[in-house]
Amino acid sequence: MSPAQKKRKLSPPAAGDIHLGVPQSVPSGEFHEGEGDVADYSIKTRIRKPMRNDEEDRSRVLSAGAYSSNMFQLQVDELLVKVRPAKGRMVKAENALHKLKDIIEHIPNREPKPILQAEREQHNLHTIRIPFPHPRPAKEAKYTLAYSKPANINVVGSYARKTTIQIGDQLGIDLAVTMPSSIFQEKDYLNHRYFYKRAYYLACIATGIEEAEDCTFAVRFAYQNDNHLQPVIILDPGQGSDDFSKSGCQIRIILAADGAMFPLSKTLPHKNCVRVNLEESATAEKSTMPTPFYNASLRSECSSLAYLKYLHGASLQSEGFTDACVLGSVWLRQRGLRTGLAGGGFGSFEWACTMALLLHGGGPKGRPILSKAYNPHQLFKAMLQYLSMKDLVAGPVAISSDNMNIDGHGQPVLFDGARGLNVLFKMSPWSYAMLRHEATRTLKLLNDPLLDQFDASFITNVDNAPQRFDSVIDLPMSRPMELPPRTADAVDADMHFCGRAYQALKTGLGDRVLLIHLRPPGRTAWSSASPTHPSKVKPKIRVGLILDPGQINRSVDRGPSAEDKVAAAGFRQFWGEKAELRRFKDGSIQESLIWSATDARDSILKQIVTHVIRRHLGEEAANDLNLIGDSFNRLLDNNNSSNLIDPSILYQPVINAFEVLEKDIRQLQGLPLQIRQISAADSQLRYASANVPVVKPGQYQVEPANVYVQFEGSNRWPDDIAAVQRTKIAFLLKMGELLAEATTGLTTRLGLENNSQKLLNSAFLDVLYPEGAFFRLRIHHEREFNLLEKTLKEKSHTQTSREETAAALSAYKRNFIQASLHTQAIRTLSTRFPLLSPSIRLMKKWRDAHLLSHHITDGLIELLTVRVFVHPGPWSVPGSVMTGFLRTLKLISKWDWRSEPLIVDFNGEMGSKEIDGIHIRFEAWRKIDPAMNRVVMFAASNLDPDGITWTELGPSKVVAARFTSLAKAACEAIKEHGVGIEPEMLFTTSLFDYDFVVHLNTRFVGDNAGRQRKLKPVFKNFQVQAHEDKSLVGFNAVQSFVEELRMLYDSNVVFFYNEQGGSVVAGLWNPQTGLRPWKTNLQYSTVPVTAPDEENAQVTINKTAALHDIARLGGDMISRIEVKN
Amino acid sequence: MPSTTKIPLQVAGYNVLPLSLPTLPSFPRPATHYLYFAPHNPKIPTPTASRSLFLVNVPFDTTEPHIKHLLSAQIGLPAGRIEDVQFANQRRKGGNGEEAKPKQDKKGKKRKRGRDETDVEDADGSALPSTWDRNLQYNGLTAVVLFVDRASMDAASKAAKALRKERIEPVWGDGIEDKVPALGSARYLNHHRLTYANKDQLLESVNNYMTSYAAKEASVARLATKQRQEADADGFITVTRGGRTNPAKQEAAQELAEKQKEKQKGLDDFYRYQSREKRKQRAGELVRKFEEDKERVRRMKEKRGRFRVGPHVLKRDDSYLLTQYAQPE
Repeated sequence: MSPAQKKRKLSPPAAGDIHLGVPQSVPSGEFHEGEGDVADYSIKTRIRKPMRNDEEDRSRVLSAGAYSSNMFQLQVDELLVKVRPAKGRMVKAENALHKLKDIIEHIPNREPKPILQAEREQHNLHTIRIPFPHPRPAKEAKYTLAYSKPANINVVGSYARKTTIQIGDQLGIDLAVTMPSSIFQEKDYLNHRYFYKRAYYLACIATGIEEAEDCTFAVRFAYQNDNHLQPVIILDPGQGSDDFSKSGCQIRIILAADGAMFPLSKTLPHKNCVRVNLEESATAEKSTMPTPFYNASLRSECSSLAYLKYLHGASLQSEGFTDACVLGSVWLRQRGLRTGLAGGGFGSFEWACTMALLLHGGGPKGRPILSKAYNPHQLFKAMLQYLSMKDLVAGPVAISSDNMNIDGHGQPVLFDGARGLNVLFKMSPWSYAMLRHEATRTLKLLNDPLLDQFDASFITNVDNAPQRFDSVIDLPMSRPMELPPRTADAVDADMHFCGRAYQALKTGLGDRVLLIHLRPPGRTAWSSASPTHPSKVKPKIRVGLILDPGQINRSVDRGPSAEDKVAAAGFRQFWGEKAELRRFKDGSIQESLIWSATDARDSILKQIVTHVIRRHLGEEAANDLNLIGDSFNRLLDNNNSSNLIDPSILYQPVINAFEVLEKDIRQLQGLPLQIRQISAADSQLRYASANVPVVKPGQYQVEPANVYVQFEGSNRWPDDIAAVQRTKIAFLLKMGELLAEATTGLTTRLGLENNSQKLLNSAFLDVLYPEGAFFRLRIHHEREFNLLEKTLKEKSHTQTSREETAAALSAYKRNFIQASLHTQAIRTLSTRFPLLSPSIRLMKKWRDAHLLSHHITDGLIELLTVRVFVHPGPWSVPGSVMTGFLRTLKLISKWDWRSEPLIVDFNGEMGSKEIDGIHIRFEAWRKIDPAMNRVVMFAASNLDPDGITWTELGPSKVVAARFTSLAKAACEAIKEHGVGIEPEMLFTTSLFDYDFVVHLNTRFVGDNAGRQRKLKPVFKNFQVQAHEDKSLVGFNAVQSFVEELRMLYDSNVVFFYNEQGGSVVAGLWNPQTGLRPWKTNLQYSTVPVTAPDEENAQVTINKTAALHDIARLGGDMISRIEVKN
Repeated sequence: MPSTTKIPLQVAGYNVLPLSLPTLPSFPRPATHYLYFAPHNPKIPTPTASRSLFLVNVPFDTTEPHIKHLLSAQIGLPAGRIEDVQFANQRRKGGNGEEAKPKQDKKGKKRKRGRDETDVEDADGSALPSTWDRNLQYNGLTAVVLFVDRASMDAASKAAKALRKERIEPVWGDGIEDKVPALGSARYLNHHRLTYANKDQLLESVNNYMTSYAAKEASVARLATKQRQEADADGFITVTRGGRTNPAKQEAAQELAEKQKEKQKGLDDFYRYQSREKRKQRAGELVRKFEEDKERVRRMKEKRGRFRVGPHVLKRDDSYLLTQYAQPE
């Protein structure tokens, strides 16, 4: 900015009007208005700057107090700087604006002509058609159409107010052309007359631009805010100097009228401005039906300049106003709320207006709700509070108006008396519900100390249908129906259809859903050579549902009692033949509905939706509707056949079996010590195993369920850890004997594990029930912990033995303490959130499909999924498998594990002290191990503040990066395909990136059920076979093979295998096995390479031999090994 | 892979012996394994070192029969000249000749050194039965072959060198497939069976172990009693655990000390200056936290910028997976 300009800006505005004054006074003055704002801003910041760094910081520090809020504010400051469009880029666009203004000012006037004549002339002489709104003007209309020079031309909207944001998509610049009052008549507010004249005026401008010399802009029509009454011109970049595409913006030419042209009283919401022909409506009463939408559309035309002035005034009065507008815009944008009808009718303009109005009134006795002294953050929060708490449908609010009897008829009302406009007139009941829902969610998350509040409020894009809604319906719009005569208001057919769909679904689904949101198809711009928006072949409405998981699968709906005749008739009217009169167990006779819970094909939700749509919106819509969400449920079942996901039913057999086991053990007589506790510690016993365990006679459970038995304390246990392990063996042997004696048909067997490591648990007892349940018992002896800790403290240790002891200690904590605590916590949460269990299971299947089974532990997957449920962030708690799964993927893709820990608070008992403690621990790990060789991901919870229980044994850095990038790719795919996503896509195994792939023999591949049979010799004799079967329970050759491979190749090869019976084992070479000097203790098979001097002969890994070794070890299990170059 | 001609004869003083690996239907590519050998020269000389050969990079499936077979049948040394083969990850064999070291020990070599010797040794049948029928060697590990005399060792070494000159590569394990337990699924099936050891045998081993453990404990106690009662050369009596009165537990002592400390603390907010200082401290804390946050935001900003520009770790995956997701099979 030149000094001269600055000087001018510094001089105080001569009059209050100067900012929006008559532009003709200064050449191209209106553009300087914009800059005027900038100047004001820069002055402000220059005054503010020194204070900001020092004083303000200090005052903030001392006032804010709360730890996280500081961080939030700092990030907000950062954001405010970032989202503003770069000034330099806008030069081209501003040049274009100057040029446009010039062109428009020189468009020749047109004499007033009757409609037909004007239209014919336009169509004969020019290519551009007149975009008349619906219904077209009557042929015999008496009034005339004309064009004369505009009263003024102004840049309006957020660009002029410098509150525009630029994130990704184009920013819009509105150029408002104010039509001269001379072409209008007093009564033009009636019967669309204003809008017909306006359409003609717009066509004239479009013609003028298109036919202007030395101008290559292309002109298209679009609807302003999707409102068919208000067509506008969209300007496409031309060539040469007219090319402003680099500015990344879209220029719209909108029309405005003088605010004083039509009296405010004529366009109040309860007035009628569209008089229906007397022949059609017999009674006079109908002709006075209010037309609020038409009135508001007209009023908004007349008040665009007034609002610019008003908002500018607000930004002068309240310092934080402008920034709060920017915050609001960002927040709304990330939630898909826009000014247009399709976007819900609440965008940044409405946000700014609401905020400005609330700065002036809205409270009791007309006092302002917001204080002018608030900072942007406070303004933002207070706005959310207002939106969330105040129900503007039930209690309409009018500000600076004495007109109190405003009724929205189901729509929210915030009436601005001074300008005569209901600011929320474009909102629908569903978009208003959505807005309030989002405001409530955001307020809630701002109070959750564990969330990255800033990210969740402003950075995360919440508006991705499959992640946002538990269920999504694509509803085809049936043929545009004739509007019933009573809606003389200018609401178009689309919105009318949406309204009916909303009402039908809302009544039909009742309390099964928490929220129904509809998104009508948006209106794109169209060629100016066509008079109206070309209707799409088959427009679809997107319906998003947020479900109440507790209610959604209810199979019986009780309606009104049969005695209540009126209500019963209404019920029958709504449900049709589906309604039945039933007598219930409690003796009441009620209208009711019965839905089939066992329908394999359609969930109850789908049955209801289909029925309601068929009955109320026609056969066609019902047949073509597409419900997305259920397809994720089917992935859970290996046979893709069942929709059943309820964990309490699916896991009932194994949970029952566990209870039997517990009882059996407690009843044992003859054990030397009393049992203190029997705890489950297995994903199968916490509803979280990828596959539901099959427990039935004759077929043993495939994998054992781990159970820990703790005896009451005794001082007769030995004081040596190795001796403790042997004592445990004796205990287990005794227990096995007693158990087998007590129950007929029960088999026990004692197995050994970790048999070279004296510090680790060395034995387990397998218990096989004849009913098919299979448990693995280990003894938990709490003294082990002390013994190990004592050993660790001894100073006489070598490094390796210290490491060994530390490893044993962490294994003890993980297996004996954390596993059962974790199991208990997940079990409790599974009852609290019915969809947690299926979401975890689907996540595990996803992990397995991408061969990450061993690396990403069950515990980590569970923590990640639980986090989505207990800290839902910008969303509500997942109400379907789809949302639970997709949001977990999103969480993984966004988790920057390099620099932040994952913290989960299972039951909301963590305070800031605990959280700080975890952060400190995390920082400590990063400090002692910056290369992340030992701990890569850090996942803590209130049960496990150490944070490494489930991540210590994996993943490594490479695998963690792959995990993240797989989740990222999945999220991208979801973003790209939206609701069209095929869930199976996300589960396709990719073998592209591995260095080699070991294909297993088909005999060793298969689902879990196949495992037992894998190696079974084919005996004809059933007896022998049955015997053989039992000893082979739990046997899995490939699993042992892969484990042994991992041990043999340690860090030199990373192996990937799907533990749910995958058909391949994939491997990656560690790149650090390249050329290096020879030494005796390299941990891999080497090949010598001739070096220039013989002394320093070098070696490198012998890959072919290593693959050969793998082939030899695998033997008959391997069919072929594929090597990538 | 480099052809044999380029392979040096020696690496750092070790002779290179190429072994060709038997071809397999699942992986038909020819492959060569390289074994390095030299006379054994341990840091701490042992009486048998002079008649031992030190092997480096033994194949993972090496067993004693393998080595014997390689040196005798394949290289040409008369049978019976090898006294013993010692693998690096194996413990010295016990007197009862039992294979004591199961292979599951991942860092066996290191661990052996680390074990403290006061452990009850797995003697007298107190060791737990191994769950594997055949131990595997870790890749790149070493072995020591002990010959009956020095002459045999030299002969073996010479014969191996001669083979190398003639470019004959013995086929690894050729001819002894039946003498060692098989690999592949049979190995894991055996492992599964061995995991569930015989109950009586187990019980016996546990009993044996506990007996020797008790004996050891008793001897330690005896020693302590003795120390307690007898003065040493300088006339001092060593203080040991046990005795008539139990010594206080360390934890209890610590706890007491802490309690005492707590008691000695005065009132914190008695004087005015105390509360003033406290307030100051709190303000300082807030400022510090604020600065920390600022730093965090700065770092975050930096990182975001860097992340946007810099290549992603697994960029290749991203793009590939995207296309794959876009077009499912």
